[in-house]
Amino acid sequence: MKLSVDGLLVYFPYDYIYPEQYAYMLELKKGLDAKGHCLLEMPSGTGKTVSLLSLIVAYMIANPLSVTKLIYCSRTVPEIEKVLEELKKLMTYYEKERGQAPKMVGLVLSSRKNMCIHPQVSKERDGKIVDGRCHSLTASYVRERHNYDDSIPICSFYEGFDIEGREVQLEPGVYSLDDLKEYGQERNWCPYFLARYTILHANIVVYSYHYLLDPKIADVVSKELSRSSVVVFDEAHNIDNVCIDSMSVKINRRIIDRSTANIQLLEQTVNEMKEDDAKKLKEEYQRLVEGLRDASVARETDVVLSNPVLPDEVLKEAVPGSIRTAEHFVGFLKRFVEYLKTRLRVQHVVLESPASFLKDVYQKVCIERKPLRFCHERLASLLRTLEIADLTDFSPLILITHLATLVSTYTKGFTIIVEPFDDKTPTVSNPILHFSCLDSSIAIKPVFDRFQTVVITSGTLSPLDMYPKILDFHPVIMSSFTMTLARPCLLPMIVSKGNDQVAISSRFETREDVAVVRNYGQLLVEIATIVPDGVVCFFTSYLYLESVVASWYDQGVVDSLQRNKLLFIETQDAAETSLALLNYIRACESGRGAVLLSVARGKVSEGVDFDHHLGRAVLMFGIPYVYTQSRILRARLEYLRDQFQIRENDFLTFDAMRHAAQCVGRAIRGKTDYGIMIFADKRFSRADKRNKLPKWIQEHLKDSLCNLSTEEAVQDRCLGVIGYRRNELQQSII
Amino acid sequence: MAEEEEGKEYRWETGYEKTWEAIQEDDEGLLEGSVAEIIQRAKRKRQAERHGNTRLGMMRHLFLVIDNSDCMSNQDLKPTRQLCTIKLLEGFIDEFFDQNPISQMGIIITKSKRAEKISELAGNPRKHIKAVQQLTQVACSGEPSLQNALELALRSLRMLPSHASREILILMGSLTTCDPGDISVTVQNLKAQGVRCSVIALAAEVHICHKLCRETGGLFGVILDDCHFRDQLFQHIDPPPAATFLDSSLIKMGFPHHLMQEGKEASLTMCMCHVDSTDGEGGRLNSGGYFCPQCCSKYCELPVECKACGLTLVSAPHLARSYHHLFPVDNFKELEFRDMQDKIELCFACQKRFGEHDKHVYECGTCSRIFCLECDMFIHDLLHTCPGCATNHSTSQSMSNDSVPPR
Repeated sequence: MKLSVDGLLVYFPYDYIYPEQYAYMLELKKGLDAKGHCLLEMPSGTGKTVSLLSLIVAYMIANPLSVTKLIYCSRTVPEIEKVLEELKKLMTYYEKERGQAPKMVGLVLSSRKNMCIHPQVSKERDGKIVDGRCHSLTASYVRERHNYDDSIPICSFYEGFDIEGREVQLEPGVYSLDDLKEYGQERNWCPYFLARYTILHANIVVYSYHYLLDPKIADVVSKELSRSSVVVFDEAHNIDNVCIDSMSVKINRRIIDRSTANIQLLEQTVNEMKEDDAKKLKEEYQRLVEGLRDASVARETDVVLSNPVLPDEVLKEAVPGSIRTAEHFVGFLKRFVEYLKTRLRVQHVVLESPASFLKDVYQKVCIERKPLRFCHERLASLLRTLEIADLTDFSPLILITHLATLVSTYTKGFTIIVEPFDDKTPTVSNPILHFSCLDSSIAIKPVFDRFQTVVITSGTLSPLDMYPKILDFHPVIMSSFTMTLARPCLLPMIVSKGNDQVAISSRFETREDVAVVRNYGQLLVEIATIVPDGVVCFFTSYLYLESVVASWYDQGVVDSLQRNKLLFIETQDAAETSLALLNYIRACESGRGAVLLSVARGKVSEGVDFDHHLGRAVLMFGIPYVYTQSRILRARLEYLRDQFQIRENDFLTFDAMRHAAQCVGRAIRGKTDYGIMIFADKRFSRADKRNKLPKWIQEHLKDSLCNLSTEEAVQDRCLGVIGYRRNELQQSII
Repeated sequence: MAEEEEGKEYRWETGYEKTWEAIQEDDEGLLEGSVAEIIQRAKRKRQAERHGNTRLGMMRHLFLVIDNSDCMSNQDLKPTRQLCTIKLLEGFIDEFFDQNPISQMGIIITKSKRAEKISELAGNPRKHIKAVQQLTQVACSGEPSLQNALELALRSLRMLPSHASREILILMGSLTTCDPGDISVTVQNLKAQGVRCSVIALAAEVHICHKLCRETGGLFGVILDDCHFRDQLFQHIDPPPAATFLDSSLIKMGFPHHLMQEGKEASLTMCMCHVDSTDGEGGRLNSGGYFCPQCCSKYCELPVECKACGLTLVSAPHLARSYHHLFPVDNFKELEFRDMQDKIELCFACQKRFGEHDKHVYECGTCSRIFCLECDMFIHDLLHTCPGCATNHSTSQSMSNDSVPPR
């Protein structure tokens, strides 16, 4: 259908539009007009993606000068593929309505692992190995060597692309991963490099967050994207954690050991090279004297997305003399690694700021701040000069130089924590040095500064006002939309007490209480008897899950559960969990029915959808507060309090509630879906918790559903609301 | 679950049910069960979907699968799910054979992960009713096995000739099924064999049941209460449209007459239907009966398949009754009573005076007589002729010309 959104003609590829989609488009249009950032929450399954795409594409056609590019960031490969599908539908619709598709190139960029078509390399499973092998076939010196020695293998697809690919522009159209691979096969071009090259002039780019947020990758991939782009972060409820993870470094003994081995290898190679080909090293030296000027030229013209790892000052200066020659640099690295090794040899927890760390480095091993800053670039340069093709082996050393550069660049917003052992196993010595980013705004700041409109959207972003604070930006539009439903298809309930009127809560003081555990068990058993197919439960931590299941065994809860359904448990082991998940799905499909016990913040709670029969009910046992004893968290809380005036409790509640919403939101993935959501904790009924749930859940959470006991919750009356028995009506409506 | 097992709970201990909240006011503030309205609307809708001139599977072979597992002792239908089901099934079986006299039915129960055939595929309603009634003695236990039941039914249905319609109707109380193998293979088998499976769920929508119905072209329904259950069940009385790949073929049938040798010394003989039954009732020797025109075996009632020669024995009215499904009475037009108020006062059929309660009245398209809702239902469900048309000479002539079957 064609519709006018505030005067803009939008082609919408479906015959019907939901009111919330229209409202969403209106808000989005306002944001685009104002050239500002937006924060939009709309439940999953209401067609967020298609609304976004159709509006922005229409806007790009109407105002080709003000918005030139759409960068759509999503989390996982399946999600990215879904976006492409919608985009294809939209383009087909344009073609049908207007006789021709708009002249736009839309494509996806993913890792080499997903895009490689080289017959051998693409067989590899591990992403890092694929990257390494690709690099060893396509690096410039490898190809140079191939010119006079045919026995050195190169990738024919890359060669094909290199010869012809850069001249030709991709035909307008939408290219998914498979399309690109096919296109590559036909023309003998490498799809990965084709995509990387094409994103510069493509109109719509779909890729993962990391290509924009992770400074290590963003520098390579996304630096030349123009300012007049619209950036969309979909499923962005965890964006602050992604930012922090991309700027943090964790170093343990293993990494130290492996990087020592790396250094030895470097040393050896340098020596060899000195004997054969001293000229090359000299050339490198000259280059370094001249400094990283080329890079700084590029940045001045403002075409480069600035890299937060490498601040502007670094580019203007020449590499300091002390690390200019290869031997000196290797020695320098050796000293630094030795220093880190001594730091790991501690008996008690150390917490210090980057500044005092730098001072200590200077005192102990005479390393100044300035050369440390160049560490990362210097190593990259050295590896290039030494013609080491396989970079994967050097990842520990690269990580260490990363740490060196970060620690010497930023004095604010970071902290260094050295823990001699894990809190759970205080007897086993396992020292870890955390270099932890406390400020999520550091990584995302260049993105906000760089692009005129950044849209952050997800099904669960409540409470909305927290995100501008922790990401430090000023949105022009901030809205939450609810789901219009022909009939109530979700039923949130807060169960606060068991049949024996004992309050249930996962509070630290009561969580091990037999009565609480028994009441949780009883609730689950009751739900399992009346709910068909799949039931998913979320616990607050693996530890709690294990202890509860153990006592359920003793109390006989597990037996009565298994009378109705099969029981599956998520564990920390990824392979085990995916096996459990697979069998859970099989049990639901075959009508046997199953219960899945999993953990909030675990693998299942993020990214696995329990749509339709896979999740007819979700139970949230307790409030999923993050582990508050963690020192990293404490440091972050303190930082948030000092810098952004966010009270610790506010942040913790915000974080817990968004995870709770995320967990229960797994069950409802669209309007035809239906399910029960049970929040089993007394504390959920308090206003400060309840109000932080997304609007679309709150809307259905009536006061009468807020303080129930187990038996009230499983009464027929409640289930009748949702239509476990009203299948007929449901069918007549949909 | 845990509570049920303790079992010693008194009614007042089970907590309060807020029954007053279940009653809802309708648009006009009347306290009427909203369920009744739903059922009526659904009935009308189903009727509207029925068209004449479609090929119907008339020789139906239906397997009833009755869940007899643990959860059938649940008391959400009064007195229990099992007893309620049995009561409704008695009516259903009678009605089924009344409307589909040349069809056959078999009954399978499933419990304790097993399936058991309690009544073979046959055309005698009394035998089935008896089998169903005996179920009251059987305790509900264990879990049902959908796959076993389906396989068992399929084993019998597979043997049937290609012109017969094959159906399975499952009454499912449980939310789970415990199967020995991959049930989706069974579903595909059923689909390949053209067996139409329908499910009536007593508790909630279970994915596999829904999928089974969708794949095999059957109906899926979840009941709201016992009235709705009855309605769901009875919609399976009308023969379904024939599957496209059903062959058409000529069937040999016998039309025996009831013979009573009067005057002479009647020789007392056993009829074939009761010859191997041990209970006293009906097993008595008598003189009259229906004799198969082919082999002269005696039967005490029709329709039946001759045990000796395999001929299908029916009487002409039976065939005629099956036949009227092919020529259903056209749907009546629904009219707002308010608009008609001045013109019409009485229902043509039952002579009821229309009052405030009737929101709609119904008009026959052929004879333009007006009927009330109840009569409309009755005419379409049971009578299969419009009384207005039948009393009018000209229309009844034309009707009888195309609706009476050739003998």
